[in-house]
Amino acid sequence: MVHPVSDPRAPAHPLTEAQAGLWYAQRLDPANPLFNTGQSIEFTGPLDRDAFAAALAQAVTEADALALRLVDDPAGPYQVVDPASRPMLEVIDLSGEVDPPAAAQAAISRDMATPVDPTRDRLAAERLFVLGPQHHIWQQRIHHLAIDGYGMILLTQRVAELYTARLRARTPGAPAPGIAAAFVEDATYRASDRRAKDGAYWRARFADRPEAASLTAGVPASAHAFHRHVVEIDAEAFARLRARAERTSIPWPDIVTALSAAYVQRHTQTPEVIVGVPFMARLGSAAARVPAMLMNVLALRVTVPSGVPLDDFLDAVAGSLVRARRHGRYRSEQLRRDLRLVGGNRRLHGPLINLLPFDETPRFEGLTSRLDVLSTGPVEDITFAFRLHGADGLRLEVDANPALYDIAAVEAHARRLAHFIAAASAAARLDDVPTATPAEAERHLVNLNATDHPVPDTTLAALIGEGLVATPDAPALRFGGTTLDYAGLEARSRALAEQLVAAGIGADERVVVALPRSFELVVALIAVLRAGAAYLPLDLAQPDARLSRILASATPRFVLARAQDAHRFTGKAEVLAPEDWRTVPVGEPLPVPRPEDAAYVIYTSGSTGEPKGVVIEHRAIVNRLLWMRAHYGFGPRDRILQKTPATFDVSVWEFFLPFLAGACLVIAPPEAHRDPQELARILREETITTAHFVPSMLAAFLAEPSAQGLVLARVFCSGEELPADLRDRFHRTLKAELHNLYGPTEAAVDVSFWPAGPEDRSTPVPIGFPVWNTRLYVLDEAGRPQPPDVPGHLFLGGVQLARGYLGRPDLTRERFRPDPFRPGERVYATGDLALWRADGAVVFLGRSDHQIKIRGLRVELGEIEAAVMASGRVRQAGIVAREDRGTKRIVAYLVPAPGLEPGMDLAALKADLASRLPDYMVPAAFVGLDALPVTANGKLDRAALPAPDFAGTGSRAPDTPTERQLAALFAAQLAIDGPIAAEDDFFALGGDSLHAVALLLQVRERWGRDPGLGALFAQSTVEGFARLIEAEGDVDAGLGPLVTLAQGDPGRPPLFVIHPAGGLSWCYGRLARALTPRRTVYGLQAPALAAGVATPESLEALARDYVARIRRLQPRGPCHLLGWSVGGILAQAMAVRLREDAAEVGVVALLDSYPCDVWRGEPDPGEDGAVKALLAIAGHDPDRLPALALNRAAVRAFLRATDSPLGRLPEAALDGVVRVVAGNNALVRGHFHRRYDGVLTHFRAALDHQGRDLSPELWAPYAAQIDVIDVPSLHAHLTGPEATARVAPVLARALAQADSREKVACATAV
Amino acid sequence: MAIEPADIRRIIVPAAPITRERMRADIARMLHEDPEAIGGDDSLMDLGLDSMRAMNLVLAWSEGGLELEFAEFAETPTLDGWWALIHAKQAARGAPGV
Repeated sequence: MVHPVSDPRAPAHPLTEAQAGLWYAQRLDPANPLFNTGQSIEFTGPLDRDAFAAALAQAVTEADALALRLVDDPAGPYQVVDPASRPMLEVIDLSGEVDPPAAAQAAISRDMATPVDPTRDRLAAERLFVLGPQHHIWQQRIHHLAIDGYGMILLTQRVAELYTARLRARTPGAPAPGIAAAFVEDATYRASDRRAKDGAYWRARFADRPEAASLTAGVPASAHAFHRHVVEIDAEAFARLRARAERTSIPWPDIVTALSAAYVQRHTQTPEVIVGVPFMARLGSAAARVPAMLMNVLALRVTVPSGVPLDDFLDAVAGSLVRARRHGRYRSEQLRRDLRLVGGNRRLHGPLINLLPFDETPRFEGLTSRLDVLSTGPVEDITFAFRLHGADGLRLEVDANPALYDIAAVEAHARRLAHFIAAASAAARLDDVPTATPAEAERHLVNLNATDHPVPDTTLAALIGEGLVATPDAPALRFGGTTLDYAGLEARSRALAEQLVAAGIGADERVVVALPRSFELVVALIAVLRAGAAYLPLDLAQPDARLSRILASATPRFVLARAQDAHRFTGKAEVLAPEDWRTVPVGEPLPVPRPEDAAYVIYTSGSTGEPKGVVIEHRAIVNRLLWMRAHYGFGPRDRILQKTPATFDVSVWEFFLPFLAGACLVIAPPEAHRDPQELARILREETITTAHFVPSMLAAFLAEPSAQGLVLARVFCSGEELPADLRDRFHRTLKAELHNLYGPTEAAVDVSFWPAGPEDRSTPVPIGFPVWNTRLYVLDEAGRPQPPDVPGHLFLGGVQLARGYLGRPDLTRERFRPDPFRPGERVYATGDLALWRADGAVVFLGRSDHQIKIRGLRVELGEIEAAVMASGRVRQAGIVAREDRGTKRIVAYLVPAPGLEPGMDLAALKADLASRLPDYMVPAAFVGLDALPVTANGKLDRAALPAPDFAGTGSRAPDTPTERQLAALFAAQLAIDGPIAAEDDFFALGGDSLHAVALLLQVRERWGRDPGLGALFAQSTVEGFARLIEAEGDVDAGLGPLVTLAQGDPGRPPLFVIHPAGGLSWCYGRLARALTPRRTVYGLQAPALAAGVATPESLEALARDYVARIRRLQPRGPCHLLGWSVGGILAQAMAVRLREDAAEVGVVALLDSYPCDVWRGEPDPGEDGAVKALLAIAGHDPDRLPALALNRAAVRAFLRATDSPLGRLPEAALDGVVRVVAGNNALVRGHFHRRYDGVLTHFRAALDHQGRDLSPELWAPYAAQIDVIDVPSLHAHLTGPEATARVAPVLARALAQADSREKVACATAV
Repeated sequence: MAIEPADIRRIIVPAAPITRERMRADIARMLHEDPEAIGGDDSLMDLGLDSMRAMNLVLAWSEGGLELEFAEFAETPTLDGWWALIHAKQAARGAPGV
């Protein structure tokens, strides 16, 4: 087939397989200049310019690849060799410049940053910069479609050969074969059996592949530039590697590849890694000498076993490389298609490891040459290139995608890998090779942990005792509106302490405290400490069985509890109820505990099924409290809220810090810690300065309207990860410092701190830096210190470590181990995964074991499993915390005991568990199985466990529109697939407070009403909550003329978005929620959606109606307007109208709208068109549904069947949409624009309107200025996720600018 | 005339001639085979030679100062093909072509 080209006789060649992948990648990202490869060679010496020009001209004439021109044809791309496209040498004289080398570098950088269109531009450029008589730079830039790295070397060497031959007047060698050789090779291989066999090899090799991981967690997207850092491999190390190569008969480049893969594995910490190995694909090819694009990337699976000799590992990798190369012609792009790994973030391999074991420096007669490789093609992730230079130098060049790595990270990897290879060169086993460089290890283990700080060697009892007498008249406690002063607290706690001492209590003995929040609770805790004993808080809400186990292990001498709860302790310990406490001290001296005596014992969930009692000594908690007092500057003016249950160790600082600072402790009423409204009231009325929240509760609290605008000195978070968006929401809602603390019960509450202030942009929010006298280690599986940014196991050391677990030396030994870096000291293995950032802050990443957190409370899945097994109903159980589509829940997988059915009585089992476990530990779902799936090595195969069916237990299908929509919201929020019944309960289905907050937000968006969190807790079934929603007003099913799409800061003027053709503005929901800072967004919807409302007489009349509506909400302006398609036309008309009313207009944004003039000439699409539009609104391409009859009934049935949200609309409403589409078509055709004397911000769908003359400039007659933003999207996708990600930030910026203009204008007016 | 940097290696490294038998032995060692197992026109790729090992061989043979181009070797991966290349280069340098 011959296509019309400039030389009509030039034959057309299809793209080779090697070119095809690059072609499509470049077409997808036409502005990316990295598809150009390039190098520059600096010549020092007398360059014969004429000889050079002649040599280059000849080499270029021989190299057909440089003359390729690409043609994009509907039948597929093809290429021709077009002599007119050959590059000509461009000579650029910079010798007159002030700094010629700098001028040349700038010109080269500019050129390399310019994208090339392979269908229009020349693929290659050859430029010679003259810097001086003895100084030249030759730059080559060739598109990757035409050449690969080795082809570039061949071309360069050919130029050198021709130049040298000319100077010596000798005959040069024969030229390489023409590019036809490469085309023939490609065609032959494509049709060969060998390709089929190669493909089968790769598919089999990768059938059970692990997920490809890399050095960062980010998703690679093609960037337009890359970072580079170059280091030299130590010469002695390289010599050792070559000696090893000699000894093992493994080529040294394969050794370096294997070691680099092992380095990658140290970072992914997966058993196996997949790296990419560039392969030149030239050995045995007739095209071996042709400058062309032939190279391939081989995906190499590398397993890194521990404990084996290094040579064995190298041998295994070398073997894999030989096998991979044997099948190396098979394109990796094709393998990706075979494995369905195309698109998105699906990758075949992680980092690239590129070995170039030959000296690439060309030899030009009489010249010294220095080669600089500028670009070797797009850098998806990170590339480690090892280039030989001179006879025995090895250089490591690290190129990385700036979207995934900053330059500091690239430098760190270059240094670290060079060190890793050097260390490995002398090692017998990889296990002996550290990952971190000595400098990184020193910084990590020593510098970042240099926390030594003098702390008095005293006890909590002594410190409290001193505090209580320092300011006798100051308020010490507030509860329920009454106050107890320091003198009163001193007297009551001393009296009770005396009573306990008189009863014979002594050091290290336990006294249970099981009281609700009250004065008595605080008096009891202090009294136990002052009596020299350790307090043991217990929650009476837990089942008797668990309480008994704890009491049996803790053997307390006394219990301080209310008389009505005394029966829970019958026969286990003596109960002292507050009525029996002494209140007046007799003045006997109190014992003086030692710093190493126990201060308290707190029980946490244990993996064996037994709760574990953590024993904290005075010295440990004194360090923690004195650090906190000094670090945050607590003083007598502070009012600290006590709302954390005493069984949760966060309560320890709440209870005692006030008395070390002369501050006042305000005790929240029992149960108030779960009630956001009540908390907001206390914070405000009691002028609290300091409060603690578990992050999930903080999220619920921030959603509470009465919490808005509260002012505190500081809020502390701990117990769970603090999400970055919650931090940001916090600062938008409250005025207070926010601090993120971290620590397990085993290390005296908290061991690290991070100020999460409004300026903090960290994602995730770190747990920060160690407190006084504390060390944080992040170690790998083998106990080696990790370099920065690499996950590892978090270990804690220092003065705050617990003594251990009460009565469990076995468990204590398991968790508290010798400090590997400080002989004689201990570390605690937290079981948490963490990393330390380059700035030294530690980031929490999750758990390494089966412990999870529910509402900040630690849960060991083993304890649940033990309880399930103890029920006797189950033969085998697997308890997992599953995260299904973002929702984390405990699920029990059960194999019933013999004789019981798989569908055993789950209700009975659940009741049984509720009697053994606290409520937060009872699984949310139970799944009966015939057998638990296991992996090859016999472990529970978590991946093979079916997702639980969270469908509820009710039977009545949701009936009313509100119920149906609410059930759909429940399902979406909780990620439930099955049907939801009207009686189903949101919380029983697995919802928690976070889900509830999100649900309420959606309810507010859908119905414009907010019944509140409390209402949802009270009425948590579909039918109940639907009734509440309906009770708040008429249900409009979201079809009313004004809907609230997002609720934001009331201080910011709202954005009004105007519906497109269909009359509905739900399509803007995503955009509305994506605006930061959040702003209220109202959607205007066509009134004619309602049956019986006539289509307006003109678009102008409709705009007038909308202006009236928005001015009722925003009488003063400024009014921000946005519309898509027809909505944009309406927005412009509304802006004109608002100006006439002298109202302030803010941003007027058009999402790919064009003036009516464009549409006037086109025929009205009629009802067919309207029905098509309806399908388009639902996200279907009507032209791809040819079998569907285009009438309302058929389309309605189709929408219902495809589960479109539109299908859930009542029939009348669907008819309304069709009617509105038809009406809008007519309105647009009859509308004549007036000029708006302001700016239109136009978001153009840049990928659309092929072959149509639609341009934003068409608006020029109707606006004073048009700002155009190109969005790489189709018109129909402009409110989709990708386009929204582009539109939202630009729009948010424009809105913010308009708002500040408005403020300035007001200020000037005043 | 001054010595050009590119010439230095050629001057200081004595050119030890490469023989066909040395080539055969070097290839055999790479493949863990006996030299006799390698026929003159056997495809070295079929015998298991990969590009990195081939490149290593070419680098080793060029250590005596011969200017060898891997791409030429890649075109004809047989012992005879490679010997022809080496022989021609050595002849051009005036080395004894044994």
